Amino acid sequence: MKRIHYIFLLGFIGLASCKKVIDLYPESNLNTETYYSNLDEVKAGLTGAYNSLQKPIYYEWQLTELRSDNTKQGNPGSTSSNNRDLSDLDMFTPSTSHGAIYQYWLTSYNSIRNANLILQKLGVKYDPAAGSLSFQSISIPISDADRKQLAGEAMFIRAYNYFNLVRLFGGVFLNYEPLTPEQAKTMNRVSAAEIYKLIEADLKTAASNMNTLKFNQIAGADLGRANGWAAKGLLAKAYLTLNRKAEAIALLQDVKNNSGYALLTGANAYANVFSTTNEMNSEIIFAIRFKAGGLGLGNLLPNVFAPLSSGSAVIAGDGDGLNYPTNDLDTASMGDPRRATNIGVFGTGSAAKLYVKKFIPPQPSVNDDTENDWPVLRYSDILLMLAEAQGFSQSSIDLINQVRTRAGATPYAAGALGNVAQFEQALSTERRIEFSFEDQRWFDLVRFNTTLTTITAEQAMKDHFAREYYNHYRQYTAPALTLVQLQSNVTKEHLLLPIPQREIDTNTSLVIPQNPGY
Amino acid sequence: MNTRRLLLLLFLQGFFFCAAFGQKQITGKVVDSATGEPLSGVSVLSDKKKSGGTTAADGSYKLSVDSKTSVVIFSSVGYTSQSFPLAAVPSTVRLTKAANALDEVVVIGYGTVRKSHLTGAVSKFKNEKLDEAPVSRLDQALQGKIAGVQIQNTSSEAGSDPKIRIRGGNSINASADPLVVVDGHPVPDGLSYVNPADVESVEVLKDAASAAIYGSRGASGVIIVTTKSGKANRPKYSVKASTGTKAAYERYPMLTMTEYGNLLYYEASLKAKDPSITPPTTSQIMTPAERAGYIIEQTLLGGQPTNWQSQALRDATVRNLQLSVSGGSNTAKYFISGAYQRDDGMMYHSNYDRFNLRTRLDVDLSKRVKLSFNMNPSYIKRERPSVNYIDFVRFYSFLPVYHNDVTAAFANQSALWGNLKPGDFAQARHFNGRIYSGYMPDGSFYNTVTAVDPFSTANNTPKSIMETRSITSNDYRVMSSGDLSVNILNGLDFKTMASAYIVYSNALDFAKRNSNKDGDVNRGQYNSRLMTDLLWENTLTYNKRIGGHSFTLLGGFTAQKTRQRDEQQQAQDFPSDNFTTMNNAAQVTLPYVDANGVQQGTFNTKFGIGLLSYLGRLTYDYKSKYLLSASLRSDGSSKFAPGHKWGTFPAVSLGWVATQEKFLRDVKWLDNLKFRGSYGVTGNNRINDFLWVDLLYASNYDFGSGNGTLVSGQAPTNPVLANKNITWEQTYQYNFGVDVSLFHNALSLSVDAYQSKTKALLLQQAVMAFLGSTQTINNIGQLQNRGIEAELTGNVIRRKNFRWTVSANIAHNENKLLALAGEQYFLNYGERTEVYRNMPGRPLVEFFGYKTDGVWLSQQQINDAKAKGLTSNLSNLFVAGGLKLVDVNGDNVIDDKDRVVMGNPYPDYNWGLTNNFTWGQFDFSFLLQGSQGGQLINGDANYNETKRINKNYIENRWLSPAYPGDGKTPYSTNGFNWMLTDYVVEDASYYALREMIVGYTLPAKVTRLAHLSGARFYFSAQNLYYHSASGYRGINPEARFNTSQYATPLVDGYQRGSFPLPKTVLFGLDINF
Repeated sequence: MKRIHYIFLLGFIGLASCKKVIDLYPESNLNTETYYSNLDEVKAGLTGAYNSLQKPIYYEWQLTELRSDNTKQGNPGSTSSNNRDLSDLDMFTPSTSHGAIYQYWLTSYNSIRNANLILQKLGVKYDPAAGSLSFQSISIPISDADRKQLAGEAMFIRAYNYFNLVRLFGGVFLNYEPLTPEQAKTMNRVSAAEIYKLIEADLKTAASNMNTLKFNQIAGADLGRANGWAAKGLLAKAYLTLNRKAEAIALLQDVKNNSGYALLTGANAYANVFSTTNEMNSEIIFAIRFKAGGLGLGNLLPNVFAPLSSGSAVIAGDGDGLNYPTNDLDTASMGDPRRATNIGVFGTGSAAKLYVKKFIPPQPSVNDDTENDWPVLRYSDILLMLAEAQGFSQSSIDLINQVRTRAGATPYAAGALGNVAQFEQALSTERRIEFSFEDQRWFDLVRFNTTLTTITAEQAMKDHFAREYYNHYRQYTAPALTLVQLQSNVTKEHLLLPIPQREIDTNTSLVIPQNPGY
Repeated sequence: MNTRRLLLLLFLQGFFFCAAFGQKQITGKVVDSATGEPLSGVSVLSDKKKSGGTTAADGSYKLSVDSKTSVVIFSSVGYTSQSFPLAAVPSTVRLTKAANALDEVVVIGYGTVRKSHLTGAVSKFKNEKLDEAPVSRLDQALQGKIAGVQIQNTSSEAGSDPKIRIRGGNSINASADPLVVVDGHPVPDGLSYVNPADVESVEVLKDAASAAIYGSRGASGVIIVTTKSGKANRPKYSVKASTGTKAAYERYPMLTMTEYGNLLYYEASLKAKDPSITPPTTSQIMTPAERAGYIIEQTLLGGQPTNWQSQALRDATVRNLQLSVSGGSNTAKYFISGAYQRDDGMMYHSNYDRFNLRTRLDVDLSKRVKLSFNMNPSYIKRERPSVNYIDFVRFYSFLPVYHNDVTAAFANQSALWGNLKPGDFAQARHFNGRIYSGYMPDGSFYNTVTAVDPFSTANNTPKSIMETRSITSNDYRVMSSGDLSVNILNGLDFKTMASAYIVYSNALDFAKRNSNKDGDVNRGQYNSRLMTDLLWENTLTYNKRIGGHSFTLLGGFTAQKTRQRDEQQQAQDFPSDNFTTMNNAAQVTLPYVDANGVQQGTFNTKFGIGLLSYLGRLTYDYKSKYLLSASLRSDGSSKFAPGHKWGTFPAVSLGWVATQEKFLRDVKWLDNLKFRGSYGVTGNNRINDFLWVDLLYASNYDFGSGNGTLVSGQAPTNPVLANKNITWEQTYQYNFGVDVSLFHNALSLSVDAYQSKTKALLLQQAVMAFLGSTQTINNIGQLQNRGIEAELTGNVIRRKNFRWTVSANIAHNENKLLALAGEQYFLNYGERTEVYRNMPGRPLVEFFGYKTDGVWLSQQQINDAKAKGLTSNLSNLFVAGGLKLVDVNGDNVIDDKDRVVMGNPYPDYNWGLTNNFTWGQFDFSFLLQGSQGGQLINGDANYNETKRINKNYIENRWLSPAYPGDGKTPYSTNGFNWMLTDYVVEDASYYALREMIVGYTLPAKVTRLAHLSGARFYFSAQNLYYHSASGYRGINPEARFNTSQYATPLVDGYQRGSFPLPKTVLFGLDINF
């Protein structure tokens, strides 16, 4: 019997040694509170922010290229929900609950969140009233040069996202530091000008803080990181969008003359810009990078764009046949050597289909996992923006011709562009072909409303509908729209997208204004 | 008692009846027949009901009775009553402990209590025919049998977990699943591996006071499973076997392409008669793609459409085999069982095999030391279909499954498909991009002129995906425990239990080349998980009886530690399709986080969870009349940040057994009347781990020239933002109950009413998306659940040869959100942007959207409405034949302010009714079970195919102003998005003949001849009849989604493409020897 008492004792010994049972910490993951304590860790965090640039790209084409005159939803007879959702964007009738609009919003802000986190850790503070950034003291052992470069890259990422958001949605929410959910609920939309203020502050600071080594001096390993030239180029585009042409010109001249970036040369110069064997070439000032090989970093858009029911003839794993080039674009591209790179034709005779060929790698391997980078800012864009900012002038025509010559297209002969209208039309078409399917066309058209005098986005879209109506839009049933009805959807208000209904619904203490027209 | 004694008694009784009247004094003593110990509080009554008394502490009594008394009755709770003729009352009456319902022992967590002394709301379910139910899992077998326990088979797939809610569930976001305790060990997935035939009983702790002993995990109720143990006897063998088949109760009514073409032409002929519209031109009747489909079906398929649902479903086999042996001596008892179960799903490639082995030993090591040992290895092998059933449902009938000579030759004409042979899987793309010509339903000849895509999808057919991608898993579990009880002093027991629950599981998902699409690389994903859950429990129990006062004191502490290690390997591009290991892959996928925040690629992770608890309980009763139980538990959990780890959960409950009072003792028809009341606090900690800190995940990128070099990055990719301050959720619950037994237990009724309030709800709430995340977790809000539940058991007929018992239960629960930390409401979105609202003062989840008033009958009606000033920016709203939204607020603008509540997913009543008949050697039982008053959102309406070819969405639809159908059914493609309106809200009520068992037990003399101790045959069936509410357009009103957006209780009540209900019949055999 006495022995039994030892068992009893055992229980009490246990009591004393149990505290450890509940003092547990994550074992497989680091966390935001303790990480970012040295240069390498901040760098890894910034890499994470770059990664988050990829996701919005999956939705961006739906909100930009599809709504422009470059592409359309390719299956007018289809009544499937996916295709109808695309058609709603294509035909200017998106619902405020549209899935792609929400996803783009969310993923862009997610990228902003990652950038904000890095900037906070680097002690960067934004003063919204003054529109200025300042560096606070921090405890991370990091050199001033590194700090400025890393902060500059994070600012670029933030500004890039805001620039897209403000152009698509107008004044959005200004989130420039990590916030709690409670703080977020006290914030409403701000004006577009407030957003541009942050974009300008970010890009200006980034441009002056980041390295501005000439292209051929950039360390190989740093290619792909945002640099001073990328910040200047993007800022120039923001200025141009705001019709601050003089400031844009100064920046563009700087990039054009001093960056070391240049147009490619040679027989297949244009095709080589996008070749997966020639990435980060001298035309790519900034691109969102993708990498094949089962890394979770592959680009899946080539499969989205490849023609439906093409088996493996175009790309491994068949295509979805979305983002379908318009006949109009095809016609405009006829005779231009760039058409062969941009637009593919699948099938023959009556079965022939156009498709977006630009991003389809020549040797497809694994589906939904291709190498193709997504160009954001190219050197030819710098040249054409400069032409746009300068307006109708011989030097502007020379810039256009420079781009055309590189592509193997015939340059405009002296006097061929005899007036503003001809010049602007040529510029518009040049950009349209040069940047086909790069998600530029929509932003271009809207920007032309202010930068050009003879082209408006509304008219361009109405003309596009008129040109495609008989062969395409007429085939929609449910409901079948007349051309007039279709064109009446194109209003100035509809140049902006609706704020996602979900975002409006989530805040019940503030009234968040929806964009007019929705 | 032999016959002679009985005759003698009768004789004496008659004698005394004739005897003279007057008072008579009787004295004596009452003792327990087994122990010989004196029994106090035993009631001693004369049948004349004029006098009576109770025994004193020493068991003695003194009573003067009317001399007319014929019989004196001795009764005490827990003992079989005895009666004696007045003259024959022995001086020492020996009462035997009864196996009567009230004296059943009920397991309550860290102890047991007699049912008569129960003060909380605890339901006990004994395994009588549980293992004969035609279902594979224990939880499914319990459906409809316990009041207040709602069990819903949200998927009918073989082996899937049903949703269990006790009293509606008290949590919003932390899981509302009850805690499952198997033989004392709280296990995360207990009900999946338990073999129903091993189960002795299932107890459900429903009220907070009962569950509070499980503290931080008790808020959603506790299900305690007790398995069988051996009894001192010679070895008893038992063989149980059953086999049967399972088939779909109902399928979706889908049209073939031929039927669809005929319908469109018929509709066009009607439209042509409507003068108010331009008659449809030939090209508008059917699209070229539809015509091509029609032509394929008519010509290439020879008018033989493919029934895709038949390609998915089969008559499945269900099989069960169990062998057990039990027995032992007075000091050592054993129970050993082995079982094999095969449960094939109704869908091909849906299989579930389970092997169980169980050993239980109970050994008395000495008079004071007892050892109990339990070892329960099990193995579950499961194969799941790689395609959802809905993909079959919505697939077009004009596509063949395999190419025949005709279709292969047709496809071969295209350069892309020149290599196809008859017998190869046919795919939509093989028929795309071609010109079709053929006869239309009206006999006209049609030529598409240009190439068309009859079905524009890049995906392969569901059958071919199903056959080329396999998803299998293996679960190996061992539940083992040992406990040692030491009787230290008289009444003082110490028990220490150590148990280990170890689960190793692995899963392989392997897709062959070209499985999903043409050119798809072959891919494999291998997952493995090792979970070890160790529990150490120490309790000290002290029993004491002082006079009429009896106490039980329990004190204890427990420590539970769970460790889990997960590994995943994702690889692709294998040199052959016949590999199912990863070592030959050309590419291994690195870790990354996908768009949903789910970790993908190849990774391994580990984590631990710890729970440390101190607990105590006092149970007290005074003469079995006044009952009290009070408990306190203190839990510390690793799930919360330092400083927020500990929580305390007190509870108290009281009972009054009115029938123990003098004034009711004489009421002969009233056997038992007990009132119970309780109040308790329980908690809920079931949230993901480490939500108190934002974790970083691999988020890589490539920098550098050329194709770049991978650079490792880190980002907080979890879409749920962390919150450092989160802590326990607490539920405060009152429970009032009454138990009544009448007419010698012919009728017993238990009614419980409760109200609970859950505070500091752990809520995963939507955040502004401009934070870059979708949700956060927080302790905010209050939720109330109120309800009433009743269980009625009636022994309607108790003849020797014919018995009929009825047990019925019904429960009503209503929940109400009381507060959301100052928020007016939350709106949550489902997968089709349908909206779920959570608003204080209202049921937790309400479907929120636009109210409809039929359809727009004509353009004229729209024009009239617009002329009156009605406007809207909503897309596709003003379309004839489309849904007509109601301007609820009357401001002439239809916008998001017009959204209203359209229903909620909560049933008003859940009920079950079991009837048991025994007639000689035959027995027959059936269970009717139902749910009344809930609604659901039917996501089928989102599918284009469903809208077009599902009869439930086509009949009586709008065609034109003159042919408006029923004025309520919109034309499939017209108008406003159905998913945002009440058009998709349907009645989820149903009732079903859930279970039926017919059995025959061989008479004892027959079995003896065969040297058996018992033999029984039975036939059992599930869902022989199933009735769903009118207006329901699916095939399984119980089906629900509960993953991704629907994983939170804040978004509830959605189904789409539900899997059919199973109708199962099986035949079984039990032999004991």
